[in-house]
Amino acid sequence: MNLLFPGALALCALASLLAALPPARMRSALAGTVLAGAGATALAAGVAAMTGRTWSAWLPDLLPLAGVRLELDALGGLFTAVTGGVTAAAAIYSIGYARHAPRTAQILVPLFAAALLLVPAAASVSTFLLLWELMAIASLLLVLADHRARPAVRSAGVWYAVLTHLGLVAILGGLAAFAAAAGGESFAELRRADVNEATAIGVFLATFAGFASKAGIVPLHVWLPRAHPEAPSHVSALMSAAMVNMGIYGIVRVGLDLLGGGPRWWWLVVLAAGALSALHGILQAAVASDLKRLLGHSTTENMGLVLIGVGAAGFFEASGERALAALALAAALLHVINHSAFKTLLFLAAGSVLHGTGTRDLDALGGLRERMPVTTAVFALGALCASALPPGNAFVSEWLMLQSLIRSLPDGGVSAAVVMPLAVAAVALTAGLSAATFVKALGTGFLARPRSAEAERAHEAPPSMLAGMALAGAACAALALGPTLVLPGVADVTGQVLPGRGPATDGAYLRAAASSLSPVLIAAALAVTAAALLAVLRALAMRRARRAARLWDCGAGPMTARMEYTATSFAEPLQRVFDDVLAPESDVEVTHVKESAYLVDRVRFQAAVPDRIEHRLYAPAIALADRLGRASRGLANGSVHRYVGYGFAAFAVTLIVLAVTG
Amino acid sequence: MIGAAAQVVLIGVGSPFLVGLMRQVRARLEGRAGAGIAQPMRDLRKLLRKEPIAPHGTGWPFRAAPLVLAATALVVAAVGPFATTDSPLDPAADLFAVTALLALGTVALALGGLDTGTAFGGMGASREMTVMALVEPTILLAAFALSIRVGSTNLGQIAASVAEDPLSVISPVSLLAAVALIIVTMAETGRIPVDNPSTHLELTMIHEAMVLEYAGPDLALIEWASAMRLTVLLGLFAGLFTPWGITLALPLALAVFAVKVAVLGALLAAAEVFMAKLRLFRVPELLAGSFLLALLAVAASFFLERA
Amino acid sequence: MSDVHVQLLDLACGAFLLTGVLILWRSELAKIVTLFALQGVALAALIAVLGAHEGSAELLAVAAGIGALRAGVLPSLLRRALAASGERRETKPIVNVAASLVAAAVLALLAYAVCQPVIRLAPTPATQAAPAAMTVIFLGFFVLATRRRALSQVVGFLLIDNGITAMAFLTAGGLSPVVEIGVSLDVLLAVLVLQVLTTRMRAAFGGTDLDELRELRD
Repeated sequence: MNLLFPGALALCALASLLAALPPARMRSALAGTVLAGAGATALAAGVAAMTGRTWSAWLPDLLPLAGVRLELDALGGLFTAVTGGVTAAAAIYSIGYARHAPRTAQILVPLFAAALLLVPAAASVSTFLLLWELMAIASLLLVLADHRARPAVRSAGVWYAVLTHLGLVAILGGLAAFAAAAGGESFAELRRADVNEATAIGVFLATFAGFASKAGIVPLHVWLPRAHPEAPSHVSALMSAAMVNMGIYGIVRVGLDLLGGGPRWWWLVVLAAGALSALHGILQAAVASDLKRLLGHSTTENMGLVLIGVGAAGFFEASGERALAALALAAALLHVINHSAFKTLLFLAAGSVLHGTGTRDLDALGGLRERMPVTTAVFALGALCASALPPGNAFVSEWLMLQSLIRSLPDGGVSAAVVMPLAVAAVALTAGLSAATFVKALGTGFLARPRSAEAERAHEAPPSMLAGMALAGAACAALALGPTLVLPGVADVTGQVLPGRGPATDGAYLRAAASSLSPVLIAAALAVTAAALLAVLRALAMRRARRAARLWDCGAGPMTARMEYTATSFAEPLQRVFDDVLAPESDVEVTHVKESAYLVDRVRFQAAVPDRIEHRLYAPAIALADRLGRASRGLANGSVHRYVGYGFAAFAVTLIVLAVTG
Repeated sequence: MIGAAAQVVLIGVGSPFLVGLMRQVRARLEGRAGAGIAQPMRDLRKLLRKEPIAPHGTGWPFRAAPLVLAATALVVAAVGPFATTDSPLDPAADLFAVTALLALGTVALALGGLDTGTAFGGMGASREMTVMALVEPTILLAAFALSIRVGSTNLGQIAASVAEDPLSVISPVSLLAAVALIIVTMAETGRIPVDNPSTHLELTMIHEAMVLEYAGPDLALIEWASAMRLTVLLGLFAGLFTPWGITLALPLALAVFAVKVAVLGALLAAAEVFMAKLRLFRVPELLAGSFLLALLAVAASFFLERA
Repeated sequence: MSDVHVQLLDLACGAFLLTGVLILWRSELAKIVTLFALQGVALAALIAVLGAHEGSAELLAVAAGIGALRAGVLPSLLRRALAASGERRETKPIVNVAASLVAAAVLALLAYAVCQPVIRLAPTPATQAAPAAMTVIFLGFFVLATRRRALSQVVGFLLIDNGITAMAFLTAGGLSPVVEIGVSLDVLLAVLVLQVLTTRMRAAFGGTDLDELRELRD
């Protein structure tokens, strides 16, 4: 019996209590430490479940009618392990970061973490939905934590609340229909059930929409770049690195595991949604100038990449190419792990910047390299990982994903021949744009000279925050250099998830692919070469110390920080190239001097890149809802009698309908 | 092992001469005498003797960038199928990995340019990253097209398979992929029509704007690394499409490689004489075109090669 | 089919497709006409390879005829129209060049997908090259739909015709020479009509931007 998982949950509860009861100055330290312990325990529990030591519980009395059914299997274990790792880093970080946070927020963080740990362990429809909603509510309240300070938080909260609940409705409808058709609601019964095709299609599409909205997949992504940045940074990390994963978990669990695959077009839908999200997310990130918003868009991008892998896996599975399906799914799951590691790191670093400067506007930052050296170094590591360059960790998973897409071709049929090249192109463009995006974030946000007084006054974060970041950084480095440590585990998970569950030899293809690339070798070769070059250069040419010199200023005197390239100007060429897609809005207002129309007094320039999907899709929907709401105002005239009358009428009609049809 | 080391030495020493050769070809075609093919080598020697400089406000990203750039170029020089296909770093000799390594060098240099905090550094970095982002899909699709027949993206295996069957090069797949890769090579190495390596007019510069603040040994390292990147990319092109001689004994293979790259370089330089640099915002058209060619190469590999 | 024939056929198809793509890419009208002439050569070569393979003198004669018409007569007519018009470039196409190229890439894949049933009927090297012809047809429609100059419109129309001809020879071994000659004469006639129309348009509006025709509606 694996007691690690209940232990982790108990520690979460303890952390929540410790955030509530002790005096204010000790709270964050106590709760943070205990929560970090909970995270570490959950990590161990997840790894144990991945290696076969699963855990299950059946609590019939906890919930009326259905009871609570929990089971941590290999797939759930993987997601729990990831959540545990993210929680540990975020919890240590929060000791310093959340010292002055409101008490409610501090109590809620461990509860949110517990819900995140429990969702992948749910083993029946009712349990799953309950935990899912718990997770949504906890995160919603956490997003709203700073609502007094910034009005933007409230609008973000509304967007998040609406979309997460629409998603819940879709999942609820889908899973309820599934349970009704299967005649039982535990996942084991669903897995065995043989539902007819129409139901299966309905269940898949409904749950896919719901889970996609949680994962921030286009076009249901609009809440993500709003809500994630507005939450406190350690919560942003939990949301962006752990909560979005639950969307992926749901798609894999329901689509591949419970429904047992399906026709190829399901997975083409998934793949297309993924490719669209990846491109849309990274394009928006490339032109964003708010650091945390940029990271939020990048989350959409990475979830899109994961979905490309999941879609390809389902597609190969439906085409009967099991080995390729295993490779694609393993690449997707590995990318989930990698993304969680570097996104935690990046959000925590962004939190340090916010803590140290009070701003997250890249156009106002800069010069943090001297003022916040550790934060800059860890952000650089995260940026390297996020931009899919060797020796970063995302490079490994994207490489695996490309391998799976490429190998499909010789006998994949027409749809594979049309879809896979486009998918490869989408992944490649995403990789290129993400490199540009993170060069922008690091180069204009952290390097060069400060562009504002806030950045000038920046100070390094306290040790506990640095420790949290260091933990996430170590995880990134370990994943980057030793993907072979986690790959066998991931391969086992894919072997168990894919329908038809073959023997563990399925991983053979994967291992063969993985062994043909050695990140350690690349990193070592680079390091050795660079060191050798440095030594040679020192010996030959750099015997003298470097002489300080002025920058080239065209002879016009020293340059000011206002002359630097900003994040917006950095992204301008890309914005121009993708003009047709992004449709940026700009507005120039020229004020002339009174005496002459030829002399300009002031020029005001405003530019914004609105989210086009939001513009085109959501604005009309909101307007429609608004109109409906206004139209129905006639029904409510304020009379209490009338309202009671409505209730009575509804009650009577229901009874009549039941009597007639029953 | 010896083969890889020999490759690195040949590329390291030979690349400045390649640049010199290309400049000389251009000069002759334009009716100038030219400075001789050893001039880049003399420039490097001169730069190395100068004192190292630390411009105000620059830090470790600025210092590290030339080292990273040169290191990536050297690693690629060691793993590519230039004169031999058995590299000790075989797991890194993957087309994707090589592309990503070259991109890493570009990224490092872009960060170095941004670290100076000048408008030119930022301008160059921004443009370079834009071009790089758009080049990426073309490279990977061309790689895709070439890998289909072989079933692997390992460079050595692709080259070896072409070496076995030299006639396969004149298929539409190879030709389309070759044209796409030539365009990409010109973009990656900052040649006309994407960038002008000999310009010093700030507003049109890409690469030169980014490295404006480098001087002395740092600049020498960058110039050397850029020359190596050019050599390596031309060498990869030669290795993928004309891998003749790769199976010969090492000294002979090295000589064949040198000749092939010299010929390619001379052709490129000669072609440049007849072209003008594109406006920066026309460059995406060129890259979209190369992307289309690469995609057609992939498509052609299905609809023509299954006969 | 022998290996040499297959390889030559593939090359001809590749050139046929490539010229079509380049027509989309270039904006100088003179270059477009040159490319169109080259495409005519590629088409003739394609038919000639098929003819050489089948050892049919008739096909070779058709190849020569098509080559003369599409690489000689039609381009020279177009050049004359171009010289008279004084227009040099395709300015401001409705879809910009980069986007057109990406669209062309998608069209190529689409052509590949829709040709599968035809290929499955008779999987010979010739039918397997049919998607190239289909792509050129698509590209012709695309040019018609997105380019403004009358000359580009004519070229778009001719691209469709080239594509259909190539398709016919690749999948059905060609139409009978009489039909082919008749169709070619129709094309010649259509080009002449379009040329007259262009001259009229220029006289009426001073340019051949097709969007000007909207004014005729009222």
